[in-house]
Amino acid sequence: MREPVYQVVWPLGKSAYEILPVADIASSLGGKTVCELWDWAFRGQEMFAVIRETLKQRFPDIRFVDYDKFGNILGRNDAEVIAALPALLRQHGCDAVISAVGA
Amino acid sequence: MRASIAAEKAGIRGTPIVATGFLGQARATARALGLENLAISEYPGVPMTDSPEELRNKVAGVLVDNIIRGLTSSIEPSEKPVEPGPRDIVFKGTLKQVHKFFYENLWTDGLPIIPPTLENVDEFLRFTDKSPSEIVGILPLEMREATVWNIAVNGVMAGCLPEYMPVLIAVVEAIAEPVFRLGDAGSTPGWEPLIILNGPIIKQLDFNYASGAMRVGKQANTSIGRFLRLFLRNVAGFRITPGGTDKGSIAATFNVVLAENEDAVTSLGWEPFSVDRGFHRGENVITVQSVAYTSPPAYSGGDNPLDHMETLAEVIGRRSAACWVFTGVHYGKWFPLLVISPSVAKVLAKGGWTKDDVRRYLYENAKVSVALLDKLARQCGNSTFDLCEYVDQGIAPKVYCESSDPDRMVPVFMRPDWIGIVVSGDPGRNQNKGYIQNHEQGPPVSKRIKLPWNWESMPKQPGA
Repeated sequence: MREPVYQVVWPLGKSAYEILPVADIASSLGGKTVCELWDWAFRGQEMFAVIRETLKQRFPDIRFVDYDKFGNILGRNDAEVIAALPALLRQHGCDAVISAVGA
Repeated sequence: MRASIAAEKAGIRGTPIVATGFLGQARATARALGLENLAISEYPGVPMTDSPEELRNKVAGVLVDNIIRGLTSSIEPSEKPVEPGPRDIVFKGTLKQVHKFFYENLWTDGLPIIPPTLENVDEFLRFTDKSPSEIVGILPLEMREATVWNIAVNGVMAGCLPEYMPVLIAVVEAIAEPVFRLGDAGSTPGWEPLIILNGPIIKQLDFNYASGAMRVGKQANTSIGRFLRLFLRNVAGFRITPGGTDKGSIAATFNVVLAENEDAVTSLGWEPFSVDRGFHRGENVITVQSVAYTSPPAYSGGDNPLDHMETLAEVIGRRSAACWVFTGVHYGKWFPLLVISPSVAKVLAKGGWTKDDVRRYLYENAKVSVALLDKLARQCGNSTFDLCEYVDQGIAPKVYCESSDPDRMVPVFMRPDWIGIVVSGDPGRNQNKGYIQNHEQGPPVSKRIKLPWNWESMPKQPGA
């Protein structure tokens, strides 16, 4: 006896996101302002201390803006914190951003 | 990830630091946020178990190079793949071939599915007045449209009956609410949504609310629970390996639907859970909330309500919920759920206890030491846990910082009114259980179930 054949449809849904443009980059971090964002977790305070120290050795004129200037990016008000980021990053003259920690 | 994307949107190169085990989830999140090739800086290994020296060496020796590369190298813009339309046939084959095809494409959970043919899906659509193309919400992680159509498709696959369709739609309406934070459903606690059901539809669709209420075995409870997990996989995009977008470290399997024993509730003079949630008695209502873990079964006995309450405070409060209160305090939200068997609820009600009395007793009598909270929080990854700071910021109630004694005792339950109570389970036994909710991730969200205009006259099959 022949088995029935089923014609089936796709169980996913249409993607609703928009493709973002890629931000401009610098060829070097020398003389740049690097801003820190943190989720107050996973030993980020220890990581950022070593990151600052190591990057300063390689790029003596690099400048950092501490994570405490921006708020907790994964706290109870994270939606507001992230919504406010673009203006804050510009206000602090950020050329690049390091966000931590996904773990 | 979202912070780095926000920086990119502002025209500033951002790189997130991500531990090795989370790269798959990070990449999927970046794709769904519109920048698949975002420069991710890998931290090799598990930061929470590295020694201070190991962490320093990894950061200085590996991570910093990754950061420099991430911030100074060019990346390609993303492209959207071409994907099928709702009524497109994506595969033709026998039952076994359909299973294999869906499994290989990560569209099912390893159990057999009912093939989602056009005929099967259309049968489900008869049980709603909504258009198949209606968008119920956009679901993170993958930011896909949840529609009436793909609700029906996943309902078919899960083994639901067509008449469950109004319940399925209400469930998706709940998880699509931004306050539910579905995007965090792949977080490491591995929380699982729990659907709580109230109303006459419990009997109409033959849900179990008695012995074995939370075990697979009854078609309505089981298949709707499975539907929700399939929907999280297919439309929200949470999958375990390969891909690793679901990072539940150990996690748990799906919950079947928890239906309340409304006959028992009514006989006690209590109101059902749905009334506590702001609805009228007799309305069909679903509530979805997260469950990080369950308590041990708490057997409470005797005809004195206080004996029962002491056991509930000990087993469900001090021995179970106490291990998770630090997360609630951190996020300022926490909604543990207490499931009481009808026989225990009867003793409480007969002794004059209301649901609010039960909540108040648990709040006042279940306590945990600050030293334990502090230790659990820091080992979980909370680098700055400080109860008094949470109080100062207005996140936690003042009672959490009445002294600086690290051995002081504080309430397990943050607020009495945040404790949910449902009466269900074997009416012939005296057991209770706690369902410990995961703070701001998956707080209770309730929706009224909207039935089609001809619901009463539509044929419904007896449940399995």
